[in-house]
Amino acid sequence: MKNDTADNIIVTEGVTKEYSDHGVPVNALRGVDLSIQKGEFTAIVGPSGSGKTTFLNVISGLDNVSGGKVWLNNKLLSSMSGKELSDFRRDNIGFIFQAYNLIPVLTVEENVEYIMLLQGVPRQERHARVEGILDELGLKGFANRLPTKLSGGQQQRVAVARAIVSRPALVLADEPTANLDSKTGIELIDMMRTLNETGGTTFVFSTHDTKIMERARRLVVLKDGQVEKDESHR
Amino acid sequence: MRLYLKLAWRNLFRNKRRTFIAGTAIGIGLASLIYVDALIIGMEENMIHSATASFLGEGQIHREGFRETFEVEKTIVNLDEITAQLEQEAIVSHFTLRTLNFSMISSPANVSAVSMVGIEPATERHLSQIDEALIEGAYFDGDGGHDIVIGSKLAELLEVGLGDRVVLTAAEAYTCDLAQAMFRISGIYHFNISDMDKAMAFVRLDKAREMLNLMGEAHEIAITFTDTKYDRAKDLPFWSSYSTGGNEALGWMELLPELEAAFELSSFSTWLIGLILFAVVALGIVNTLFMSLYERMFEFGVLRAVGTRPWVLARLILFEAASLAVVSSVLGMILGFIVTYIFAQTGIDYTGIEYAGVTFRDLLYPVMELKQYVYYPIWVFVFTTLIGLYPASFAARLKPAKAMRRSF
Repeated sequence: MKNDTADNIIVTEGVTKEYSDHGVPVNALRGVDLSIQKGEFTAIVGPSGSGKTTFLNVISGLDNVSGGKVWLNNKLLSSMSGKELSDFRRDNIGFIFQAYNLIPVLTVEENVEYIMLLQGVPRQERHARVEGILDELGLKGFANRLPTKLSGGQQQRVAVARAIVSRPALVLADEPTANLDSKTGIELIDMMRTLNETGGTTFVFSTHDTKIMERARRLVVLKDGQVEKDESHR
Repeated sequence: MRLYLKLAWRNLFRNKRRTFIAGTAIGIGLASLIYVDALIIGMEENMIHSATASFLGEGQIHREGFRETFEVEKTIVNLDEITAQLEQEAIVSHFTLRTLNFSMISSPANVSAVSMVGIEPATERHLSQIDEALIEGAYFDGDGGHDIVIGSKLAELLEVGLGDRVVLTAAEAYTCDLAQAMFRISGIYHFNISDMDKAMAFVRLDKAREMLNLMGEAHEIAITFTDTKYDRAKDLPFWSSYSTGGNEALGWMELLPELEAAFELSSFSTWLIGLILFAVVALGIVNTLFMSLYERMFEFGVLRAVGTRPWVLARLILFEAASLAVVSSVLGMILGFIVTYIFAQTGIDYTGIEYAGVTFRDLLYPVMELKQYVYYPIWVFVFTTLIGLYPASFAARLKPAKAMRRSF
């Protein structure tokens, strides 16, 4: 068993994932062994179809593995029920998606405080934390706006705010810059990295943008569902 | 909870056109139900009024067996005691005495079998509408003992008019001897009820008693009550207290069982219409909620991913269904009120049409009742919310990764 280091936040052991695409069997992951330590700023990279999204899905418990094991914060995901997984994600993982990831009928403030509502954080504390994070991410004055009234970059910053406001141990981001222009994308990644450095939150994100990859401290390259390369940058 | 209510309400208006169409469809269903219910209540009241106010009365007292045989001898037992008692009844508004027998009416031109009815013109006014239905002549306005009032079709058959003479022939009580009397046509009525217009002839009670050898006796006491609740109450002590000593007292529901059966059929019809409307509405609701759900599949995936429990997501869909129900109910109540109110003011003309043995004599006015605006919207609300369980359970079973297949 590889989950023997307390510093590891994610450990995967021989993870495989097979699914059927219109009747055609697809091996999305083929025996992935990987450990990610707390506080890392890791990029999962690879071409389209390499298994990046599937990998993020299985390490967050959004999807089941076909084989192998995943430990997240020392918990074996396959041993948890659906409800336990929901609660575990709520309390331990922040998510940032490509786009359309905010609830369009909720204001920026309501979107950001949503997870804290699920966690039962008292109202005053919620408001204080939302105010603080919006301020920190340069979104002061946007609290009462609907997401549709924001630019793509601003929306992704709100998504980052929502992901980290509940102070999760891990933030997973699937191609968070895919819908942004390169300058805004780099700004977003730099902001995530600052949060990683100042708050110690572990970030794992997928990308196929070389400029974004350069910002990661660790690069895990996936190809055909397998880890092809795993290197630390700086 | 507040956030989900807010979320559901806002989600409902994300696609305003769709919500408006779905809400209008449900609203029309509710409005139809409100209108049909009001119409049926109006129809029942109209039919009861047509049946009881024309001639029947709201209740009647007879000698037991008279209604089955119409034997002249079967007169009411202890008539004087009963009439004295009726005069003291607080719930009785009016009553009148009648004799009823089969007789032959003849004119120089023709002959016909009729039901000769002996009436007391003064008290009969309160029980029947013969005076109001007169199209020619007068309603026993003089002292003439030989006055007779007949229907328009009978007058046509006998080829007689006002002032013409006719002869009534009837069998006397007890002796069965034939008695004949000459009458002069003093009035012709038109009820637009075939049986009454061609087969009834009204004479003064005293004259009928004299012909039938029934002095001081009567076959029927017709009654009206101070409130309609009495004549519809089958268990009213009144009926049993007058159904003694060989007499029977019956309300219109027993005198006209076919009318009650027709009302039961109407209630069933309302129920059936409601069921069909709700079934159509149910498909609309499910379709709307599923369209909305499929459109937001990714969003539901995100909500599940960030830790929203399945039942919380299901609750959100239920809230949306409930919000749709609230909007639809308001629309339905407004629409139902407007349509019903218009017809309740103008009335619907079914006069002359016969249904369940009763001919509509007045315009039909739908009756608006509070229950239509309380119970039916509650039905819609509960029903819509229950229907929402199906898409809600679908949402609860969503796998986050599948729902978000466009990304993660």
